[in-house]
Amino acid sequence: MKIVAVTACPTGIAHTYMAAEKLEKTAKSLGHQIKVETQGAMGIENELSASEIKEADGVIFAVDIEVEQRERFAGKKVVQVPVQLAIKDPKSVLAKLG
Amino acid sequence: MPLEHSWVFPLANGLHARPASHLEEVARTFACTITFCNDRNGRTANAKSVLGLVGTETRHGDSCRLVLDGADEAAAWTRLTAFLRDTFATCDEPLVIETPAAGGVTLPRSLLAAGLTRYHPGRPACRGIGAGRSLVLGAFALPPELLAARPTTPAEELQAVARAVEALQTELAQAQRGAALTEAAVLKAHLGLLRDPGLAGQIAERIGAGQTAAQAVAAAIEAQAEILRGAESAYLRERVLDLTDVGMQLLEKLCGALPALRVPPLEGPTVLIAESLTPGQFLALDRRQLRALVLAHSGQTSHTVILARSFNIPTLTGVANATTLVGAGAEVIVDANLGILIAEQTPAVRTWYAREQAKVTELTGRLQAGLGRPGATADGRKLEIAANISSAAEAEAAFAQGADGIGLFRTELLFMDRTTPPTEEEQFGLYAQAVRAAQGRPVIIRTLDVGGDKPVPFLKFPPEKNPFLGYRGVRFYGEQAPLVKTQLRALLRAAALGALKIMVPMVAEVEEVRLVKRLLGEARAELAAAGQSCGELAGFGVMLEVPAAVWQMAELAAEVDFFSVGTNDLAQYFFAADRENPKLAGLGGTLHPAFVRLLRQLVDSAQTHGRWIGLCGEMAGEPLAWPLLVGLGFDEISLAAPHIAAAKAAVAKLAVADCVELEKRVGQCATRAEVVQLLGAFRNQPQPMLAPELVVLDVDCQSKPEAIRALVDVLHLAGRTDRPEQLEEEIWRREETYSTGFGGGLAVPHCKSSCLTANTIAVLKSRRGVEWGALDGEPVQVAILLAIRADDHGKEHLKVLARLSRLVMRDEFRERLLGETDPAALTAFINEALQPS
Repeated sequence: MKIVAVTACPTGIAHTYMAAEKLEKTAKSLGHQIKVETQGAMGIENELSASEIKEADGVIFAVDIEVEQRERFAGKKVVQVPVQLAIKDPKSVLAKLG
Repeated sequence: MPLEHSWVFPLANGLHARPASHLEEVARTFACTITFCNDRNGRTANAKSVLGLVGTETRHGDSCRLVLDGADEAAAWTRLTAFLRDTFATCDEPLVIETPAAGGVTLPRSLLAAGLTRYHPGRPACRGIGAGRSLVLGAFALPPELLAARPTTPAEELQAVARAVEALQTELAQAQRGAALTEAAVLKAHLGLLRDPGLAGQIAERIGAGQTAAQAVAAAIEAQAEILRGAESAYLRERVLDLTDVGMQLLEKLCGALPALRVPPLEGPTVLIAESLTPGQFLALDRRQLRALVLAHSGQTSHTVILARSFNIPTLTGVANATTLVGAGAEVIVDANLGILIAEQTPAVRTWYAREQAKVTELTGRLQAGLGRPGATADGRKLEIAANISSAAEAEAAFAQGADGIGLFRTELLFMDRTTPPTEEEQFGLYAQAVRAAQGRPVIIRTLDVGGDKPVPFLKFPPEKNPFLGYRGVRFYGEQAPLVKTQLRALLRAAALGALKIMVPMVAEVEEVRLVKRLLGEARAELAAAGQSCGELAGFGVMLEVPAAVWQMAELAAEVDFFSVGTNDLAQYFFAADRENPKLAGLGGTLHPAFVRLLRQLVDSAQTHGRWIGLCGEMAGEPLAWPLLVGLGFDEISLAAPHIAAAKAAVAKLAVADCVELEKRVGQCATRAEVVQLLGAFRNQPQPMLAPELVVLDVDCQSKPEAIRALVDVLHLAGRTDRPEQLEEEIWRREETYSTGFGGGLAVPHCKSSCLTANTIAVLKSRRGVEWGALDGEPVQVAILLAIRADDHGKEHLKVLARLSRLVMRDEFRERLLGETDPAALTAFINEALQPS
């Protein structure tokens, strides 16, 4: 499965990247392709392109705050969870994509 | 014909007791009447009355006049105008007034979590923490038997007052001589009150009306106190304490010891709690046992509070009903950092304060250790860090602030603002005072540097068109040989008491040095002829401030033991730019590359000829220049005493090789702006985010609040924050969103903060797991604090933290983190892992 994800936490210092790391590792171990965009204190990094979003089979938002440029994901089915859940139990988050 | 002098009142704190006593001291040496008029409020006063002067409520910026009328009015006018111009404006240092934090007391969560419940807020007047048994002091009242007493005859009562005043005057004057600076200033103000004609008049009036001496004194003091209490300015209101103090001491002289006035002896560590405390009562306390002071009424600028500060006694003021809050003999804690009096403590609160005390002890210990050590770089190159002073009394304070010596004692102030030169005896006394205060450390005393821009009334030099290039410094020594020899004799005598060095100003030719040496020989012979002993000089040197001297270093070195660069004059002569002219402020200057090259040449020449070289101009006080001066290889820098601690600490962090490299690059610059930029970049070298001192393993903490406090303390001790309370609060604010414990025994508390000196990673490993509200509900073993400066808008440090956040998700990293027991090894491991792959 091709997955794209966005992570974002309140201070953008730590949990954004912890969640990104967890999602990337877990997805790969399950044989998925994944790209995670981080929206932290440094702004948007590893930004998802329009074609990557278009081609994705599933979208995950692991966020505690509003996602920047959310309109890019219009029409996509999005699974939104708190950042903490992506850190604590990334498998269950990926399972929500069905 | 009365004379008048108008001026604008210059002192920031207004005309309070201290400056008033200075003015009174000058005024009372003249017979004419001297009236002080405040044209803003129309009040007038006898300038020979401290209370009268204080009562004019004169503030900074008021238009004032002195009106002089009487036989010696002309002499008084000359003396007073000179005094007001040269001395008065600087006779009162601005007071540091601590204002309480806005919005009342914010207490650290760790302290609240320790069970702090009963506490009373106050305003911190002198910071610090003190704990001990409480001693509650009641207010004073004249005992009933004295109130009921009948007078003898008015004449006898008056005589009794006169005797008491005289006895107290003698006592105060004696105490003043043995006292440290702040204490002496307070005693002087008291002496002024005692001499006050206004007060004396009131006492006499009451005795005339049939009161006893004691009743009259008590009533007159009370009446004057009432006037002061009604004053607009808080500062004047606080003078009431000084007045009561003088009154109490007078009453004791009249009636013998009054138990109600005496402070009891302190048995063991004590916290003194009182409605108010007079300076005299404070001074009578055993300060070795006094841990803290709590006052209900005293303000921030009362003399009692000023004294408490100078003895560094943690003090809270404005604690409502202070004396009723705590029982006598109860164990109390005064936290004058947070501004609270703690009447009851749980064991956990006591532990919290024990830790806080240990931290404070360590912090102050380090600072003091740094001050006690001679100035040196991190790699051990010695650099004496000395003080510039202008009066003997400053020497003691300079050494207390860590000076390695006196690098420049300007003696001209002793000669200015007077009609006759100071005598040999007077000069000897002052030089001896400075040398004694030095306790063997070097004291460089510069011989008279007047003339030109620094006129002296008794030296009748004709006016000059260009005084800076004129008849000044050593240039008039030949013509004024008796004056110079008097100074040299005083210096030679003082040299017997310690390491005194003589330095000659404004030397442009080698003959000038030879002249001074000849005068020195004559002075020595005169002392011998008079049967006076004189000491060996620890050195004889010259100031390098005239560019011509730079190219005579070999000849000068043959005559002298040392050099000291006077950068202010040298730079202005070198660039031909008047340093007083603001339009020329951008021209040249000590940080210009040409000037730095000049300094390079001077140091090289001095070293070639084996001579010691120091630097005593304003450049020495410029923090940007410190690494440059180390790189140039000076033996000493001499600066204003308050900057010595900072200079020592900064120099102690420098490595000679870096400074030499910096100096080479500075020498290659083309403009001053380039030099300043280089020096700025050097100073702001980033500190590493993580260092072994920021890693504490095996910490004994029971709870999350304790662990966070311990992390904050690590930053405080490492000098990365000086506001631990605020940092603690900021970390907690982030924890409130949701716990930073993300499972697996790890937590990453973090914050952006405005109270950090550097971006910081700190690691704490707890001896036992700590409940953190973690994602997996498991206790936390290792907490990694990520703290970023709020004003850091760069991304470099955030990238490091992002990398670290990803790392802690990896099992192998986590295992190493949990298993490592050595701070240095853990630091190296994390730093390596954080390198970009």
